Amino acid sequence: MPRLVIDDREIEVPEGTKVIDAAGRLGIMIPRFCYHEALGAVGACRMCAVKFLQGPFKGVQMSCMVDAKDGMVVSTTDAEAVAFRKWVIEWLMKNHPHDCPVCDEGGHCLLQDETVSSDHSRRRFLGSKRTYRDQYLGPYVQHEMNRCIHCYRCSRFYREYAGYRDLGAMQIADKVYFGRFRDGRLESPFSGNLVDLCPTGVYTDKTSRFKVRRWDLERAPSVCIGCSLGCNTVAGAQFRAVLRIEARTNPDVNGHFICDAGRFGYSYTNGGAGFRQRPREPMAAGAGIGREGALERAFGALEEVARKYGPESVAALGSDRNSVETQCALKKMCAAKGYLPPVFFLDPAARRKTCEAVARLDERIAFSRSELESADFVIIAGADPLNEAAMSALALRQAFRKGGRIVVIDPRPVSMPFDFEHIPVVPEAIPRIFGMIVANSIPGEGGGLDANAGKFLRKLDRRSEDATLQSRIEDLAAGLAAAKRPAIVCGTGIVDETTPAFAADCALLLYRAGKRAGVFYVLPGANSYSSAVLSENDGRTFADILEAMEGGSVRALVVVENDLFRNFPDTRRLEEALARLELLIVIDYLPTGLENRASVFFPSSTAFETGSTFINQEGRAQFAHPVHAGGVPILGGSPEHVFRPDVPGGGQKPAWSILHGLETGLSGSGGISAEEIIASHPAFGAIAPLRYPVDGVRVIPVQSKEEFTSQSVSGGEPAPPRGLRLLLVDWMFGTGEISAYSDTLLESIPEPVLTMHSADAERAGLLDGQEVALRLEGGTVEVRLRVTEKMAEGVILLPRHQNLRWQKIRGFPALIDPERIAAL
Amino acid sequence: MAEIPQVLFKNRKPDRVLSLEEYREMGGYEALRKCVGGGLPPKEVTRIVTEADLRGRGGAGFPAGKKWEAVPDSGDFPRYLVANADEMEPGTFKDRMLIHVNPHAIIEGMILTAYAFSGSKGFFFVRPSYESSAFILERELAFAKEAGFLGKNILGSDFSFDIVVHRSGGRYICGEASALLNAIMGKRPNPVKPPPYPTVRGLWDKPTVVNNVETLANVPYILRNGPEWFKGLAVGANGAGTKIFAVSGRVVSPGAVELPMGTRLSEIIDVHCGGMLPGSEFKACLPGGASTRFLAKEHYDVRMDFDGLRAVGNRLGTGAIMVFDHKTCLVGATLNMMEFFARESCGWCTPCREGLPYMRDLLRRIESGEGRAEYIPLLKTLCGEVWNAYCALAPGAAEPVVSLLQFFEEEVREHIARKGCPFHA
Repeated sequence: MPRLVIDDREIEVPEGTKVIDAAGRLGIMIPRFCYHEALGAVGACRMCAVKFLQGPFKGVQMSCMVDAKDGMVVSTTDAEAVAFRKWVIEWLMKNHPHDCPVCDEGGHCLLQDETVSSDHSRRRFLGSKRTYRDQYLGPYVQHEMNRCIHCYRCSRFYREYAGYRDLGAMQIADKVYFGRFRDGRLESPFSGNLVDLCPTGVYTDKTSRFKVRRWDLERAPSVCIGCSLGCNTVAGAQFRAVLRIEARTNPDVNGHFICDAGRFGYSYTNGGAGFRQRPREPMAAGAGIGREGALERAFGALEEVARKYGPESVAALGSDRNSVETQCALKKMCAAKGYLPPVFFLDPAARRKTCEAVARLDERIAFSRSELESADFVIIAGADPLNEAAMSALALRQAFRKGGRIVVIDPRPVSMPFDFEHIPVVPEAIPRIFGMIVANSIPGEGGGLDANAGKFLRKLDRRSEDATLQSRIEDLAAGLAAAKRPAIVCGTGIVDETTPAFAADCALLLYRAGKRAGVFYVLPGANSYSSAVLSENDGRTFADILEAMEGGSVRALVVVENDLFRNFPDTRRLEEALARLELLIVIDYLPTGLENRASVFFPSSTAFETGSTFINQEGRAQFAHPVHAGGVPILGGSPEHVFRPDVPGGGQKPAWSILHGLETGLSGSGGISAEEIIASHPAFGAIAPLRYPVDGVRVIPVQSKEEFTSQSVSGGEPAPPRGLRLLLVDWMFGTGEISAYSDTLLESIPEPVLTMHSADAERAGLLDGQEVALRLEGGTVEVRLRVTEKMAEGVILLPRHQNLRWQKIRGFPALIDPERIAAL
Repeated sequence: MAEIPQVLFKNRKPDRVLSLEEYREMGGYEALRKCVGGGLPPKEVTRIVTEADLRGRGGAGFPAGKKWEAVPDSGDFPRYLVANADEMEPGTFKDRMLIHVNPHAIIEGMILTAYAFSGSKGFFFVRPSYESSAFILERELAFAKEAGFLGKNILGSDFSFDIVVHRSGGRYICGEASALLNAIMGKRPNPVKPPPYPTVRGLWDKPTVVNNVETLANVPYILRNGPEWFKGLAVGANGAGTKIFAVSGRVVSPGAVELPMGTRLSEIIDVHCGGMLPGSEFKACLPGGASTRFLAKEHYDVRMDFDGLRAVGNRLGTGAIMVFDHKTCLVGATLNMMEFFARESCGWCTPCREGLPYMRDLLRRIESGEGRAEYIPLLKTLCGEVWNAYCALAPGAAEPVVSLLQFFEEEVREHIARKGCPFHA
């Protein structure tokens, strides 16, 4: 541990720490442009020059390029270093336009700060300024190259860190240009990070351009609920609208970055296009009735149903979109009133997969996203990282850059910005194959393992009947055997029910074999962890409720933030069942269509308007702070000049508060206490009452109760299915529940396609690009066909696309006779 | 002049290259037969070259043997050798001459060098405007391969080596070793600061040696004749071997001449280049390309070797001597070079990318009559500040300016006082 002196203060830092970071630990911010913690030191801007007075180096040196060493004496304020830094600013400002007053970066611009702090106020240089032509980079990022100071952060992030190739440096000398080879939208789904990374205003957020100055924003730390990763963000609002999402640094979760869906998919909270889509006032049968009236009507009607048919005739449905607070309040209400306990999952398979995954996460094997970044061998089993949890793909890219080997075992044509091996197989074959890789990586019968682990190992298949596959598996197993920090990334979408638990057991086996092994699940939604925990001892799902609705034993349903018509695979059945209800109470902030069918509808607050806790896929509880009070945004027009005591369009309340009202019949701000949340489940004990709201605490146990209990997957190759198995898949853009209501994302949504293997297509006589009719039990889906060789045979892939009425499926697994796909 | 030893240029043909046969008749590829065919241990090759004190002819003057030794014994395979023929230093044309006179000396030198550190693939990195050189090299490489000097199991040994000609994209910075390696790998040719040195992690992270072609061409002769012979070629106590001086400017017969290391500047100009042009007086010269300092008349007798020039605060550089007479405006000459350097900056670091155009602007103003007295101290400050650049391009670009202000400040002041260039009156 080297000890050095910086500005007369001594500090001891770990070996390999750069002097710029050592100074940072002392609270000394050495000016910098090109240096970035995630991108590393490259010494391009020369802004972090300091003077080395003693030690192995002497004189002015770049503090980002020098490792801290014993005996160094460094001055950041030495006249020579200060003079040089001043020159760097003068050089950079030589060409920088003085357009701060109309620049969106103004006020939070690193160049502005460092120019002012270096006391550069007059342009001595008499030459003309260099100018560039700006490019169209798509709907999210505005390009203004004249402001560029050539720190290379953008191209380093875009190409090296994120692995996309369509933006980079061109030309040389003082004509270096950062952009694309020609105008066009950026291909990277991580392009929004350029906005955060750029130290000046070359890349700015187009969705919030010219709308607000940074210092006028109401800003608060928030959490993205676009997928199960729970990336940390800072949300900024003004004039009752959320206008900008920035990445918030959290080394354990998202590092410094977020994906574009998370960054730009915020407009649902403002009401989408024209701010008009979001239902903002309580309604009964589609007509406004006021907050008090709605509560009175709903409370009375619930009491009535409970009195007439008994309280167990009232059922409740939550979702992954609920906050922990809302789920606990829902559970509490049902318990207090004697209603059926709430369900959070639509079907038993989804519930079982999520619950089994969650039950297996413990301190030994639960990998965080940052641990995934340093994994040296990764098996991705039944997951499509870029589409299901985009930031995990960026983590895997970092693992790849550090030399990690990555294999994907998944039927889909998985694409990620790095090289990986792909074994495309049907879902039922996935566990057997990665089980074989794991088994072959452990020599012999696993001597040295304890009894349970050894027994599990012996149950695993080692040999495949397919010689090519066998040699591939052996090659991968050799790689895994040499790995020190292997990871298994397991999805919970297309996989079979037993796969998540099996993945955990394989990770545990590797852990027992002496590796720092872990499992990283991709769960269905933002708060799936909490949904699973609260459904732990209750095997029911919405499928059971639906049957009860059809049978008449459930007469009233409370739906809390669930876009049922989007999520449920059989629209007709759902419609018929809903029609039989006597009472439908809907609480939501999205215009799901249910609000018009509801007997009583309550608008709820989004995560930007109320403090709410979400637990991500590794069991980390994170708190999204309220950013603003909500209401109809007043952007784009002159606000109404009317005095009124309330916020226009501010009829929303947190869902947990509405549920408290339904429980007690009392309006007001009452809700759920920290103690009540903790009492909802032992896991929530980690959220100690004194520390609520918590941020970043993992609620997972030290050691899971389940160990090597997963169903064995031995027994040879699975028999080929009769027909094509229909898999519903998610895409990064176009299938998300909240993103469907964010008009900011519209331009990113690709056309829906049905994807099938070229061999299957050939057998069925279908061609790539054809419009086809897929006849399902509930009706026909007309969609374009995409044919590829990079996927498994025997499956067809249909996205849960917002522009596709796919909800015509009677049951799963859905096996489709190829005859039922016909060209139009 | 019969006593001047000619090594690289021996038997130089006025209109064509030395053929493989002619080269072999002069003893060519004997060193290869002795070392590779005869099983001389690779370490021994390095030792002999180190002992001969062969220093890099590309500008930096780093001992070649030391560079090869820097490839660690435990280093990864395959290992690469790059012959740097990206000769873009203004005024320099010695590598081109060498390729057009004696290509097989370079080829044999490359094979021997690769043998010394177990390299298996060589790259000839050729400037694109040297297309004729690239053509010659490709042709002669094919002959060498046919003769069994290249390819698998050279001369029956277990040593295999092959060479490809790589045409550069054609920028000055591509001549910088680390930028050159990036260029070969298809990346932007930005320099990369060591460590790790290319000899440890170069092309595709494998050990790579980059040598100038003139350096490589000397290797076969050293191995054939021994280090003492090589040292004896030089005149004066310091230095070893011969040096190709590429002389241009106001002399009677400009061109490339091979002379003993340490030959006096006065002798090069007066004896070997026929003296100054009639009516021209020696005013100054750049001794080693555009990134060295002006040598004023007072140093006319300096010994042209690494140490001789260091003693007068200058560098041997590439040995490209540009001679200026009393009728040449040195502000204009300096500006011309600054135009080149500012244009050829790779654009990576601020002092070079923005600082050189700043200096260029001041020089342009002085030359065009818009100069002010405060530009002189400003230029002096800038010459110091650009030393904090990432690589040696910007400090090199500042060298002519530094010496302009050191030896010819009066001429600069005259430009400012007369509001224009006195030479263009």
